[in-house]
Amino acid sequence: MSDAPTVKFDSVWKRLTRRAQVTTLAELLYAVPRRLMNPRRDGLREHEFWALQNLNFSLRPGESLGVVGPNGAGKSSLLKLLFRIFRPDRGHVQTRGRVTGLIELGAGFHPILNGRENVFINGAILGMRQKEIRAKYDAIVKFAELEDFMDMPVKNYSSGMAARLSFAIAAHADPDVLLVDEVLAVGDASFQVRCHEWIERTRKAGTTIVMVSHQMHVLQNADRVLYLDGGESKLLDEPGVAIGRYLADQAERIRESDAVRSTAEGITRVQLLQGDEPAHEIEAGAPATFRVHYSFEKPVTDPVVTLELVHSDPRFLISTPGAQLAQLSSGLSLRGHTALGSGCFDVEVGALQLPVGMYSVRAAVKAHGDFTASIRRDDALRFEIMRPAESDSTSLIDLPQNWRIVEPSEIPQP
Amino acid sequence: MNAARDLRELFSYRELIAVLALREIRSRYKYTFLGAGWALALPVGLMLVFTLVFSHVAPLDTGAVPYPVFAYIGLLPWQLHAGILTGSARSLTDNRNLVTKVYFAREVMPLSRVLSALFDFAIASTVLAALMAWYRIVPGPGAWLVPVVLLVQLAFGVGLGLVVSAANLLYRDVQYVLQVVIMIWMFGSAVVYPLPETGRLAIISWINPVTPILNAYRGLLLGGQTGFSPQFYVAAAVSATLLVGGWLLFRRLERRFGELA
Repeated sequence: MSDAPTVKFDSVWKRLTRRAQVTTLAELLYAVPRRLMNPRRDGLREHEFWALQNLNFSLRPGESLGVVGPNGAGKSSLLKLLFRIFRPDRGHVQTRGRVTGLIELGAGFHPILNGRENVFINGAILGMRQKEIRAKYDAIVKFAELEDFMDMPVKNYSSGMAARLSFAIAAHADPDVLLVDEVLAVGDASFQVRCHEWIERTRKAGTTIVMVSHQMHVLQNADRVLYLDGGESKLLDEPGVAIGRYLADQAERIRESDAVRSTAEGITRVQLLQGDEPAHEIEAGAPATFRVHYSFEKPVTDPVVTLELVHSDPRFLISTPGAQLAQLSSGLSLRGHTALGSGCFDVEVGALQLPVGMYSVRAAVKAHGDFTASIRRDDALRFEIMRPAESDSTSLIDLPQNWRIVEPSEIPQP
Repeated sequence: MNAARDLRELFSYRELIAVLALREIRSRYKYTFLGAGWALALPVGLMLVFTLVFSHVAPLDTGAVPYPVFAYIGLLPWQLHAGILTGSARSLTDNRNLVTKVYFAREVMPLSRVLSALFDFAIASTVLAALMAWYRIVPGPGAWLVPVVLLVQLAFGVGLGLVVSAANLLYRDVQYVLQVVIMIWMFGSAVVYPLPETGRLAIISWINPVTPILNAYRGLLLGGQTGFSPQFYVAAAVSATLLVGGWLLFRRLERRFGELA
């Protein structure tokens, strides 16, 4: 195996347009003169923007790159350039060998054909020879755990089955460069684990991996992480450094965006307090107080206050129907009180032992026994749970723990 | 030498062309009672209708050749031609999810439609053989040249198919315009009646390559023709030019398919 780069981005610029493409001949009639009267300035015409600017990096066999960035940072454009779906407007993109993507699994599936037929079609689309697919067919079916379903039309597959099959095909395409998008969020947990194990195995076998994800724990395993923002490379560094910078910028943006404005009526706002200070980020396991500000025109007697904490990682959406990861409810503890005019409810949490990540809070107040009317506020607060500074764990939750050695004499004999 | 490299790349995708054509054929005829037999329906149906019109309503002189054979030998390659054009035109737009998600030589899409049109052509050809047997027509001595005619027809169809597939991705009008063009084209191509060989209309067989191509099939298989007419050589030259020019145009536009689809 040579050590020459399998992927090389050399001063790559990619231009995209916000305006819809001309799709009818009639539109062409006025698009042409408009284009002539509106020449490119600094390489851009009106409505155009640089999806990627001056991007440089190269990857060797067996190297993995993670890509982070907010929406619109240019992550998809980068993948499409790698995949030769986009061509750069300036600079050069070089790839060596077979580039296979896990982007939009199953894009080539034909719904009325059965699983077996689709394996051969999808494999061919990914660049495999029919002979090669025949040789690997049993392994593909086994990996997908679909032994009994290969004669069923793919239209009758569940989305998980379709994703499993298409991942299994891609997994057996022996790519030199593998592009991994968010798609791995599908399938059940055991399948996801196997996917990640497989990706790690192929990387060790010399495949170059490029993965785009909003799931930071996925990117932690990459050799390097590229932080993109507004089409520009902000940082290309070790995962810890690049991800840390990205999360810090994101938190800053949330504070600035004033996304959570107060309203005049109902639940006016919800604050997260640490001590007496409002906070937007808090270490996992730290004590905290949520303060619910209200302003009611009509009295609410025996109020029941509920706070639902919703994690921003979409994988947590599947856990509960309401998508909340944790819920705080006042139950009957505010009985006897009538809320009217402006005021606050406080709820103290001894230890905010939540998975790290971004949260949004849904707040609701209703009168006890009233099952119809409740005063609600979605996205009343956003905050971030940070990994405790001294923690070196990479798990979602750090449990408070005390370790000691047990002497043999302390163990009771039966 | 980029063209040579692109041709090599296209050649490496030959299996994909066949696989996609097979996908199209399978999905088209799956869950149908007649299956691939439906490939016969259109040419045979048209042949019956035109036989009714030109043998009984407005009788037409087709010389020694019985009219049903005369019509079918025109309809068969014409359907191939129309099938290649309509299939190619939609090939990229129908597969937008592939074009915007996966890389492969884009020519694969129109070419796979050409292949599936050829499949229908092969099936429908059996009816021609049956008709000729029924009327006891022995293929002429020039019949061995028929593959050459088919090659010229394919060069013409592929060249035009590449152009319309790319054009339809740019402007969706193309597929609708094409339907009208194909209908008018059929009546200007000696498909179900002979075009006059003298007079003002004779010019059609010089400027419309389909006419000499259809006449060549007829002359070689049914008549005693053993060579090609001058018009056919013109058609062959036009076809070759269109094939090369169409492909060069396709390559130029192909760079932006990912953004346009």
